[in-house]
Amino acid sequence: MNSSSLKNSRLWRNRLAYDFKCFFVIIFFLCLLPLLQLSDYTLGILVVAMYFGIVAMAWNFLAGYCGQFSMAPAAFAMLGGYIVGLLDFHAHISLWVSMPLAIVGTALLGLGLGGLVMHLKGPYLSLTTLSFAEISRVIISNSHEYTRGDQGLNVPTLMTDRISYYYFFIVLVVLVGGFIYSLMRSKFGGFLLAIRDDQEGAESRGIDVTRIKLIAFAISCALCGFAGAMYGSFSQLVSPEMGLLQQTGLVISMVVIGGVGSVTGPLIGALIVYLGSEWLRDVGNIQMIVFAIIVIVFARFFRTGLWGLFSQLMQRYLGKSASS
Amino acid sequence: MLFLDLTINGLIMGLFYALMAVGLSMIFGVLRIINFAHGEFFMVGAYTYALISTSFGINPWFTLPMAAMGGALLGMIVERTLIRPLYDGYRSWSFVKDEYAVVVTFALSLLLVHTVDKVIGPSPFMGPSLFDLKRIAIGPIMLNGQKLMAAGVSIFLLIGLAIFIKNSLWGKQIQAVAQNRFGAALAGIDPIKTTSLIFAIAGGLAALSGALLSPIVNPSPDIGSFPAIKSYIIVVLGGLGSIWGSMFAALILGVLESYFAVYLSYDYRDAFGLLILIVVLIFRPQGLAGQKGREV
Repeated sequence: MNSSSLKNSRLWRNRLAYDFKCFFVIIFFLCLLPLLQLSDYTLGILVVAMYFGIVAMAWNFLAGYCGQFSMAPAAFAMLGGYIVGLLDFHAHISLWVSMPLAIVGTALLGLGLGGLVMHLKGPYLSLTTLSFAEISRVIISNSHEYTRGDQGLNVPTLMTDRISYYYFFIVLVVLVGGFIYSLMRSKFGGFLLAIRDDQEGAESRGIDVTRIKLIAFAISCALCGFAGAMYGSFSQLVSPEMGLLQQTGLVISMVVIGGVGSVTGPLIGALIVYLGSEWLRDVGNIQMIVFAIIVIVFARFFRTGLWGLFSQLMQRYLGKSASS
Repeated sequence: MLFLDLTINGLIMGLFYALMAVGLSMIFGVLRIINFAHGEFFMVGAYTYALISTSFGINPWFTLPMAAMGGALLGMIVERTLIRPLYDGYRSWSFVKDEYAVVVTFALSLLLVHTVDKVIGPSPFMGPSLFDLKRIAIGPIMLNGQKLMAAGVSIFLLIGLAIFIKNSLWGKQIQAVAQNRFGAALAGIDPIKTTSLIFAIAGGLAALSGALLSPIVNPSPDIGSFPAIKSYIIVVLGGLGSIWGSMFAALILGVLESYFAVYLSYDYRDAFGLLILIVVLIFRPQGLAGQKGREV
């Protein structure tokens, strides 16, 4: 009985481990995909899908695990990209130096913004981040003399080859996924879940709720900034369009469709939604309409997303559980 | 007398913001959620007004109530289909409630913007003026005729709303449900009907704001995003859930913005709202009218 309780599939630790195993199955298939002789265009789409995957994992880290809803994942990705772009444009600083600066810069911005609202209960975070997202985009596109406005900035590239970028992004996804996994395995992850499930309860057990939420927000922002910087170096261009609310909408769709509160869900969601939206763009630019409807249906009827449906099926047929 | 001119024009902008923010605040007061699709009520109002009056040639004074009804109808449909599960089903899951509200209203906002973009087209067009006079001078103050008319209509509506909430039976029901949903239900008030009414009022007012502004701002599908962001800032400034606070805060924001645009920087006028938001969050997070320590 004792040993079986350690393997109990309902334990958070075991669910997380199962989740992470499935994450690696997906990564494995992603690694094999180029064997199909994909064109450079398709590889590029997959790279962008993985960029969205990182942003979606970062958003899910905050929303799915900690229950805080930021409306600025795309804006922080844009800011990360712009930190790299501006440092290159004005000071010719190499990407290897500016990339850590992008991470630190977005983390500090996150700390500043979060420090204003995290001690408040209620929807203050969503309101503030939404205003921040729209207004920072407007500031960037209006500051022509520094940021070249809507034309965007060139960003130095790391490698010229599509296929090496593809594997590079797989490595990044694995790093971010592993980082989130190790955080969620630690005590810190337990704090996050406690805050999500019952903030007053967590507070009464001595958890410094404000500080933990603030750190989680800063980590999420830094991951978004990192993803944005890498995306900028891949596309060699950052523009205010990266921070459109529509992009945040895509990120949220990915998490909701893939599955809130898991590591694998956002990645599956990002691949499905981004590939689907490329296809729907060819069909007639209806991708946002279709995904908004799907998101509403999922949020209403399948709250745990595809990942939840999948793990329910697994539980039914194999006796394993992985939903959160 | 630039200062006086700016004050009056700012107050007029503030009136339009107030029409939106009041609805947002009422929804928050009753359901403790933020409607992220509020800007799209604005957009729907602007489009209904501009499309019906230009394509059928109907007098704009008749299309104005049509726009309001369009917004109210949309609000009721949204409440019935998407918001009702919030307080019908998931009662015990507090974090799921937040998640559901944020995700669904945000997705709804994208859905409406992109549907209009697809069906009607992305190019902006202008609504007809209520009052055909380009410039009026009242003493030293120069005003646009449409703005003056629209401001009159908004003042009328806001005063009407204040009387409605304060004195009418429905208004008292709204207040009761906002104070204590369960208690109101015990006293024989139907909270579901009241919530539906609130969404109709909120949708109608936001749509009217859009209709009144449509000759000035040239509606395009994403026109609602900035008025919506202004009203998010306003509801925080006024104190979340406080109707009077948000009316007052809307006027303040309108005036401050108009000073800022002229005296400091026109390009960054929209960024000024964020500055106000930050200052409010640092020094008075409960807003102008909110009580300290109140659970929101």
